[in-house]
Amino acid sequence: MDAAALDGLLGAATPEREESWRYSRNALRALLQQDFVAAAPPPQLPPEALALIDALPGAVRLVFVNGVLAPLHSDMRIAAVFGNDSGVIELPSDLPQALHVAYLSVPGAVPSHWQTSHTIRLAQGKACVVEHHLASAGAETFAAPASEILLGSGAQLDLVCISELPASATLYRRQRVRVDVGAQFVCTHALAGGRLQRFDLDCTLGQARARCKQRGVFALRGREHLDVQLDVRHAAVDTASDVLWRGVADQRARGILRGAITVAAGADGADAQLQTKNVLLSPHAEIDAQPVLEIHADEVKASHGATVGQLDERALFYLRSRGIDATTARAMLIAGFCREAFGAVEDDALQARLDAWLTRHLPLAGADA
Amino acid sequence: MLNIDDLHVRVAGKEILKGLSLRVNAGEVHAIMGPNGAGKSTLGNVLAGREGYEVTHGGVVYNGANLLALEPEQRAAQGLFLAFQYPVEIPGVNNTYFLKAALNAQRKQRGEGELDSMQFLKLVREKLRVLHISDELLHRAVNAGFSGGEKKRNEIFQMALLEPVLAILDETDSGLDIDALRMVADGVNAMRDGKRAFVVITHYQRLLDYIVPDFVHVMVDGRIVESGDRSLALKLEEHGYAWIAERKLAGAA
Repeated sequence: MDAAALDGLLGAATPEREESWRYSRNALRALLQQDFVAAAPPPQLPPEALALIDALPGAVRLVFVNGVLAPLHSDMRIAAVFGNDSGVIELPSDLPQALHVAYLSVPGAVPSHWQTSHTIRLAQGKACVVEHHLASAGAETFAAPASEILLGSGAQLDLVCISELPASATLYRRQRVRVDVGAQFVCTHALAGGRLQRFDLDCTLGQARARCKQRGVFALRGREHLDVQLDVRHAAVDTASDVLWRGVADQRARGILRGAITVAAGADGADAQLQTKNVLLSPHAEIDAQPVLEIHADEVKASHGATVGQLDERALFYLRSRGIDATTARAMLIAGFCREAFGAVEDDALQARLDAWLTRHLPLAGADA
Repeated sequence: MLNIDDLHVRVAGKEILKGLSLRVNAGEVHAIMGPNGAGKSTLGNVLAGREGYEVTHGGVVYNGANLLALEPEQRAAQGLFLAFQYPVEIPGVNNTYFLKAALNAQRKQRGEGELDSMQFLKLVREKLRVLHISDELLHRAVNAGFSGGEKKRNEIFQMALLEPVLAILDETDSGLDIDALRMVADGVNAMRDGKRAFVVITHYQRLLDYIVPDFVHVMVDGRIVESGDRSLALKLEEHGYAWIAERKLAGAA
């Protein structure tokens, strides 16, 4: 891959130098041994690829295939403002239905890469966006969708992001969120799969009373490698953040979750809560959980914690003592553990989607790897 | 139904049960009393199949078969139920979902048909009515954020729903106020019949005012040192466990 293409995929990131890439540097290096060419969308979307897009009834939909808008499968009233690989979605404040944005990678003859840079702006009112990151089986792809989310004063955006990737797909996703006065950003992430999946979420509460509520789950198995870097920055008075993630890793999977909260000087009255809990399901799985808290203001309420443990043996015995076999009991416990992070989603249909995602990606607890 | 013969059990290298024998027949209610550390809870856990308990000698026959060879879920399907002293909180797992999964898993193992949602809910409503429990507990995660009393009520509710053949109640009365205690006792008494048996592990005689046992056993230092009828519990209440120890010493001399 030439240097310009790589710069495009990685954005401003410099994995060889940055501390945040410490655990994923080798995985990226190994990946880049391969030659990736710029992806072209196929002239026609194969039906099996189309079937991956789990349509949300009533939602306005945009589908990007290898980074390019697929007009046949998209609602063109919203899509009209889009360019090829960059664009701005202005969310009307009165959009009653959810906006469903699907990013789909389909394989070419050789490994391929694509990137996008999208902006979602909600000037006022309330909206719901569902983002879906998918790849066809066998797709040796390196996808790098970046998005900027801008919330105007008093706006509330509910965002649900789901990724489900085959073991051949790589995804580097960057999300930058800016929250204005009194606005609220509520997001739920469900991440699974991939050869290398990296997610940088950078959320700035730059104006008074801006709030962000973040929920997330990752479920890994096989040799999947996932790296989540959360940065929440409190830069104004009376801002609040509430971050809760759950992670499970089975077999030889590797998870990294760094959650950083910074309270800038002058951001008095900030309330920052960050909690991550992780469970290892195999002696060969690994999760690195790192909470970082930096406070430069007075009058701040902050708490953070990160744990990595194993399934609760007492709970397992409790379920088994009621007649539930060990395999089912483990699956119930893992699902319950993860489901705690889906509480921010109020819509029943979306809850059902997340439950289905969980069932599909539940690690094979207890299976020897 | 249950025959425990000279059972010796080690936990983390330490011998806790030191030759316990007990025979329980269908229709009987046995109370096991004893001071802290006597091994009462160990007995409940061993019978239910908890890991980490090493049987070094003796055995347990349940309905003619070796109980100790069975997995915990097999014991449950064969009618054994342990009401936990400390019921476990399981966040994220809905109580109704859990109960239905448990009941159907047991029915399946026994070769009985599984209940569908309608049949299950009908059964649940029936049991709730008998026990005077609000259905509010059902909509929450298993024991998550329950008060001590609510957890114990949930144990008894599970027992009522699963209809075990042999129920072991491990200090179900501890920490309960008088109303909750009555509810627990009502739950047990409603199920007493000629086919079912109960082993009630308790520290205090109080529960036995409500669940009147056929036999009372006193357990000290890993074995049963005295057995009798209900009056034994009353004597214990009056004299304390030291009385038993003294009598043993006198007997030995």
